[in-house]
Amino acid sequence: MNLSVHLGRLVLQNPVVLTSGTCGYGKEMQPYLDLNSLGAITVKGLSLFPWPGNPPPRIWETKAGLLNSIGLENKGVERFLEEDLPFLEGLTTRVFVNIWGRTVDEYVAVARKLNEVKRIDALELNLSCPNVEKGGATFIADLEVLKRLVGEVRAATEKFLIAKLGPQVCDWETTVALLEEGGVEALSITNSFPALVIDVERMDFVFALKTAGLSGPAIKPLALKMVYDLVGITKLPVIGMGGITTAEDALEFLLVGAKAVGIGTASLVVPSSAIRVLEGIKQYLFRKGITDVEEIIGKVR
Amino acid sequence: MNLARVRKKERIGERFVLLEIEDRDIATQAQPGQFVMVRPFEGVYDPLLPRPFAILRAEGNCFAILFEIVGRGTSLLSRLEPGNELYVLGPLGRGFSLEAPSAILIAGGRGIVPLVFLALELTKRATPFSFFLGVRERKELALLRILDGISEISWSCEERVTGGFCGTVLELFKKHFDATLKGDVRIYACGPEGMLQALSKILTGREETTEVSLEARMGCGFGVCLGCAIPRRDGGYWHVCSDGPVFKLSEVVL
Ligand SMILES: Cc1cc2nc3c(=O)[nH]c(=O)nc-3n(C[C@H](O)[C@H](O)[C@H](O)COP(=O)(O)OP(=O)(O)OC[C@H]3O[C@@H](n4cnc5c(N)ncnc54)[C@H](O)[C@@H]3O)c2cc1C
Ligand SMILES: Cc1cc2nc3c(=O)[nH]c(=O)nc-3n(C[C@H](O)[C@H](O)[C@H](O)COP(=O)(O)O)c2cc1C
Ligand code: FES
Repeated sequence: MNLSVHLGRLVLQNPVVLTSGTCGYGKEMQPYLDLNSLGAITVKGLSLFPWPGNPPPRIWETKAGLLNSIGLENKGVERFLEEDLPFLEGLTTRVFVNIWGRTVDEYVAVARKLNEVKRIDALELNLSCPNVEKGGATFIADLEVLKRLVGEVRAATEKFLIAKLGPQVCDWETTVALLEEGGVEALSITNSFPALVIDVERMDFVFALKTAGLSGPAIKPLALKMVYDLVGITKLPVIGMGGITTAEDALEFLLVGAKAVGIGTASLVVPSSAIRVLEGIKQYLFRKGITDVEEIIGKVR
Repeated sequence: MNLARVRKKERIGERFVLLEIEDRDIATQAQPGQFVMVRPFEGVYDPLLPRPFAILRAEGNCFAILFEIVGRGTSLLSRLEPGNELYVLGPLGRGFSLEAPSAILIAGGRGIVPLVFLALELTKRATPFSFFLGVRERKELALLRILDGISEISWSCEERVTGGFCGTVLELFKKHFDATLKGDVRIYACGPEGMLQALSKILTGREETTEVSLEARMGCGFGVCLGCAIPRRDGGYWHVCSDGPVFKLSEVVL
């Protein structure tokens, strides 16, 4: 049975990927699953300098979902290279690194540093974070800045380049065209949904920053539609994510055209979730007598 | 997450449940102060996340947790019966340091749990210690039952009762303060935020030799989501699940 999928010039041994922010820097997952059996892992979003993140509480549950206000906490690219790269060097699976910046220049600086690291197979741009030069507007919602960002990052790295999208996109067609022209090679979708929760006992917002990102099973049908729509307007390979917990969830994303699927919140609930999803996909293909996973990609359009 | 089986269940007073769970790996590796993530059922999306609980004790193939029913997750867990299965992940986190010439253990309410495990270990090591337990309401005194076999216990209750001290556990502790705090002693505490805040005021100057076990809302419990942040004394954040849940008083801002 062939499980490998082609994302343009990048081949994954199977379509199951760990998403950014829910598998740490990689080695934290090692006790719970064989990382080498996955298609890829995506390292927590890195910035040029260590970033402390938001004050607690950072996590709140809602029905079938999770709101997080981690605030992009990370150890910064330098400490990552020192402390975590050696572990990743020992893996054979694909390694994606999610990156972000407060300014275009910061994105570019991180991309340039990671460009020199052989072990890293792809960079994923988190475009849902605030641009401090534009009063905190998200990069993804500002086409002018986005164009400059993608152009400058593309010039700084030869790595396979993924743009991660979220619900903040305003004009999908223009955005996608801009990313394609800018040299982005794949799109991952979706980041968490801006959402709100109120603590009725305290009569106040739960989170210091008021809103937080919703992820988990609650967003799955929304994410699935985003993937479906996006596949219809782009020629780039799409990595679909949002609420995937079971193999059946993952198959829905593949069937509407995602080339790969991301497992996020499900890894927090059960750390080995991604393996179970992968095993379930294999069983499904076997049961259906399908010998190549790429045969089912985009079968439901 | 491993599938494990409930071996024994005991109700302790109105609000607490003790579950003895069969899981050889956790039982043999667990250290006092460590915790487990527990999920009552497979495929349940509300609550979605597993819940953290300190390990009460571990012996042979079994370990035990003791929890207070406070919300949906603990209420679902309280419905499990012997023979039922549940999902467990652990042991997790950094526990108490066990090297101490002598020790004082101070527990408030359900904070008793990790300190029972510590007391059992200190007993094994023949480390002398005193155990202070404080509860708010009379009915929580049912917790005294799990201290069977542990000597040197003093308890307090904020409601009037016979046989114990009436007041907070810190008032009780202060009464013994002079006698017990002489010499080389390590202090271990676990309890509600307010109790730990008050304790840190009493113990100024002893921050290096005092260890507290803290709680935070958790996502994963094993260090990947960065959801369980608490402020560090020197700026930035600790992650309760992987840097703790046990911290030196000198490391944290309460
Ligand atoms: C390391 C650690 C060890 C713990 N050990 C024990 C233990 O031994 N025995 C025990 O009874 N409880 C323990 N707790 C607390 C326990 O995890 C929570 O009470 C439980 O998660 C509540 O779940 P719920 O679904 O019933 O409540 P929810 O419906 O989620 O919430 C009900 C109430 O509990 C509070 N709460 C929710 N999650 C937490 C949390 N993670 N920490 C503190 N308060 C919370 C909420 O603020 C709310 O007031 C521990 C927590 C941590 C972090
Ligand atoms: C705790 C947490 C941290 C996250 N951190 C990042 C991050 O650093 N960068 C990023 O692009 N996405 C981040 N995400 C978003 C996830 O990668 C994913 O896109 C989103 O959660 C939807 O998938 P899910 O429902 O399977 O979790 C984070 C999500 C969670 C729950
Ligand atoms: S709970 Fe996820 S990092 Fe601590």
